[in-house]
Amino acid sequence: MVPKEQIQASVKQFILSEFLSGEDADELEPTTPLVSAGILDSIATLKLVTFLEEQFSVQIEAHEADVDHLNTVEDISNLVLSKL
Amino acid sequence: MDFSWTPEQAELRAAAAEMAAAELNEGLAEREKAGTFSLEGWRRCAELGIQGLCVPEEHGGAGADALTTVGVLERLGYGCKDNGLVFSINAHMWTLQVPLVAFGSEEQKRRWLPGLCSGALIGGNAMSEPASGSDAYSLQTTAVRRDDRYVLNGSKVFVTNAPVADLLLVFANVDPERRPSGVSAFLVERDAPGLTVTRQVEKMGLKTSPMGELFLDDCEVSAEARLGKEGAGQTLFTHSMTWERSSILAGGVGAMERLLETCVAYAKGREQFGQAIGKFQLVASKLVDMKARLETSRALLYKTAWLRDQGRSIFLEAALAKLEISEAWVRSAQDAVAIHGGYGYMCEYEVERELRDAMGSRLYSGTSEIQRTIIAALMGL
Repeated sequence: MVPKEQIQASVKQFILSEFLSGEDADELEPTTPLVSAGILDSIATLKLVTFLEEQFSVQIEAHEADVDHLNTVEDISNLVLSKL
Repeated sequence: MDFSWTPEQAELRAAAAEMAAAELNEGLAEREKAGTFSLEGWRRCAELGIQGLCVPEEHGGAGADALTTVGVLERLGYGCKDNGLVFSINAHMWTLQVPLVAFGSEEQKRRWLPGLCSGALIGGNAMSEPASGSDAYSLQTTAVRRDDRYVLNGSKVFVTNAPVADLLLVFANVDPERRPSGVSAFLVERDAPGLTVTRQVEKMGLKTSPMGELFLDDCEVSAEARLGKEGAGQTLFTHSMTWERSSILAGGVGAMERLLETCVAYAKGREQFGQAIGKFQLVASKLVDMKARLETSRALLYKTAWLRDQGRSIFLEAALAKLEISEAWVRSAQDAVAIHGGYGYMCEYEVERELRDAMGSRLYSGTSEIQRTIIAALMGL
């Protein structure tokens, strides 16, 4: 089982490198809103889902790719953890 | 990867091509000229199980996997010259049935899917608006909750099947301040108060597929008509579009094979300068290019469906399949006109219609430019 902290670190690193290039890493906290703040738009969501599936060998269902499951690093990590 | 067909799959594919060639093409020239949808053809396809291919058996469908589904649709497109009818069937499947299967409540599935599979009901979706096309989630149509109902206001364009539809999936924003996160989807029946199909639009091709515009003026639907959660519209539309992009051109691959056979026969039979025109290298090279496009398109179609059946997300692959097959279909239809020379420009020879029908594939379900944008983003660019 991959520890939650490791999932969070991996997700945070991906979001920083893909969508928040040049931003202060400390500004991205586990509860920072991503979807509702517009950081994750429709194409960014596709990239994130593809990353999660490949990185953690999980399958994200269609109805899970929404604000309830992907809005924060914490939410995303919980989603991944629930599938491991 | 193994793309060989089981006996059952092969039988279904053969039945689709045979029925289509025998029953769906009569009177096409007249229907095309008049812009008439073939309800009889629609029902015949439903009898064969086409519309219900990928819907679970418990809801009236065949429960086929993605590869079987595109394999059968490919043969439908091969036998059926009425590309408009095939397009209407695709719109019905990917923009209404697929989201209903994935996001519908058991009650919604029980109520709608059997009729949509049997051909008794015709459906589609209403997303595009006068000011929002590629930027789909900037839509202006609103849905305001009032007690146990929603009130929809706005207008929609490019709604495939609207003039004949019984049920439409209408996208509206429940909270414009939330922007895309407010977009939600509603099952709106044809006779819903406040819903008007304002006009049937005329198109360059696919003329037998009816397309209309909607006007929603205080259109009331019950809260139970919402598909998925409030704000699930973006997720739902992405799911719908990924299915559509990966599958909608299966019929186009079949049409490319039909075009190729027509052109080879013509190139063998038509003589100029004392020999069949197919003996001239400039004509033969066009036929070889058509063959290469057909085979690469088919390989992309099958591989993308196969990946879906493995449980993989196929955002990139679906966009790639849509991009490549649409571009290949248009180029091959252009070659078909060129091979036929002056006759290719005449309606009687039918290849000009194939070109006009193919042209739309570069635009619907996201333009080729949008597909490239998605692919580039998913390549990490």
